[in-house]
Amino acid sequence: MPKWKIYTPDGVQDILFDECHLKRSLEQKLRTLFRSCGYNELETPTMEFYDVFASDGGAMPQENMFKFFDQQGRILVLRPDITVPVARITATKCRDAAYPLRFSYIGNVFRYNDYGGGKQNEFTQAGIEVLGVSTPESDAEVLSVAINALKATGLESFQVDIGQVEFFKGLMEETGLSDADTEEVRKWIDRKDYVGLEEFLNRHDIREDLKKLIFDLPGFFGSADVIDRVEAFKLNKRSREALENIRQVLKILDDYGMGQYVSVDLGMLRALEYDTGIIFRGFTYGVGFPILTGGRYDRLVGEFGKECPATGFSLGINMIMMAMQRQKVSIEKPETDSIICYSEKGRKTAFELCDELRRQGLVVELDIANSTPESAVIYAAAKNIGGVISIVDGDTVEIRYVQSGEVAAVQISDLLKR
Amino acid sequence: MRYLTIALSKGRLADLSIEMLEKLGIDCSEYRNESRKLIFTDEKNKIKFFLVKPADVPTYVEYGAADMGVVGKDTLLEEGRHLYEVLNLGFAACRMVLAGPSELMGKLDGLNNKRVATKYPRIAREYFEHKRRESIEIIKLNGSVELAPLVGLSEVIVDLVESGRTLKDNGLVILDTIADISARMVVNRVSMKMESERISGIIDGLKKQLQ
Repeated sequence: MPKWKIYTPDGVQDILFDECHLKRSLEQKLRTLFRSCGYNELETPTMEFYDVFASDGGAMPQENMFKFFDQQGRILVLRPDITVPVARITATKCRDAAYPLRFSYIGNVFRYNDYGGGKQNEFTQAGIEVLGVSTPESDAEVLSVAINALKATGLESFQVDIGQVEFFKGLMEETGLSDADTEEVRKWIDRKDYVGLEEFLNRHDIREDLKKLIFDLPGFFGSADVIDRVEAFKLNKRSREALENIRQVLKILDDYGMGQYVSVDLGMLRALEYDTGIIFRGFTYGVGFPILTGGRYDRLVGEFGKECPATGFSLGINMIMMAMQRQKVSIEKPETDSIICYSEKGRKTAFELCDELRRQGLVVELDIANSTPESAVIYAAAKNIGGVISIVDGDTVEIRYVQSGEVAAVQISDLLKR
Repeated sequence: MRYLTIALSKGRLADLSIEMLEKLGIDCSEYRNESRKLIFTDEKNKIKFFLVKPADVPTYVEYGAADMGVVGKDTLLEEGRHLYEVLNLGFAACRMVLAGPSELMGKLDGLNNKRVATKYPRIAREYFEHKRRESIEIIKLNGSVELAPLVGLSEVIVDLVESGRTLKDNGLVILDTIADISARMVVNRVSMKMESERISGIIDGLKKQLQ
């Protein structure tokens, strides 16, 4: 046997039975939610040209992409996310569409991750994108759908942190630091690395009040009063507008009745090239990684030839499933109600009965192993099937209830009437 | 209330961390009892501890198996995990350096192919690629790194230095300092938000001790 025949590659997994059932049902709930909010689902190719995802911003480093070649030697990648293809579609195929566009997707993406702790190299993302508007209403809508999505999964305690990268960019403008230095500061703050941050600030000549604010930035998270605290500082227009923007979004979320789910984190700073406004992450107990990320990315679509503001979010379905399992959220399992046993003589009756019961909404298996009713009970017990129905003659069946062991003779006409 | 879990680096770091935590009123008596238990519990404060190899602390914390941890900066740099590094605890201080024979002092750039022996391949690579903008050959060793230049296995080494005594005794000198190292408190990114109050309480308490 070839060496790797019975194994799966690193970072991918089989999703079986109960788990798969749960995953599909989550996906269905999300799909229904997205559609009810007016989002149109789309599907993008699993593979794309590398160029689609290549950018200087480093939002997705090339080391993290699965690459291969097409027949002409062009570089292909397995899509590392779906937002970028959506941007490509928006700029190329929806140039003249009426804005705002509302798109949703559910699909697998591929990244070389440090997998573990629930992280995989192949995982399923569900998300939405709103394109063509840059109002606080649009950011709030995306956040509200995100929160409703988390609620729909059945997770009870979760939290969504909201940041605004323009606030930080405004601060950096004020310091006059170079792009490279700004990136360094971003990294220290995003990691809440006070040591590195302090060391950096000591090396650079920055206005004292700004220095203090930047040093405290990693700690500016919590309830909305964080914004008041920061506003006490002397800020430039860009930073002020960013704070005003968060305020507006929080206010709209209050009107949605979702204020209790959100808090503020001004020290949340991801990719400065990519993010251009409100950004957010969702957390819950039991998993060490965010279960949801999102935000505004007004420049991305422009890279594909048409300027268009955009915002959206995606959530990691596998991560959510892990959180549900850790938090012991009760989940529905696939159940089979009955199995029908028959001999050749009763076969036609069995099939008719089976059809009818299925039409009534029951899950019914046929005994294709030709077992006796007694051995079918053993099989049914192992598979958690409720009852064994065996055809006696054209009018009567015997029902064996697996749990209680009861046997009852029942008229077929009675079964059909239910 | 949910248990807050703290991962500690086995050895001296754990002893020093426990001392600081005890001053905060956290009950570490189970640790003091030197039992063979892997997990210690303070039932009153709902805190659990466990001891793991230093290199594993960032992993436990990143994955959320521990909410917070204490680990050396050297391990953090080498592991490159996504964590919040919230506090310099100051103890276990030393330096990560580039060292080699004294003849190389000031002549490092002239060397065409550099072989670098180290226990910290990632730190060495980052330093050469980003700071010196050079490609190098890494030779990963697990101990007595100072030996490598002496027997011709490598030109230079990247290693931790406390007093510099071992280097000196072997005729090696520090060619450049890469980073200052000491024990750090790290926090899982989700825990920082979900358990903000309790974690901030511990951080603030430790900060006060450091002042």
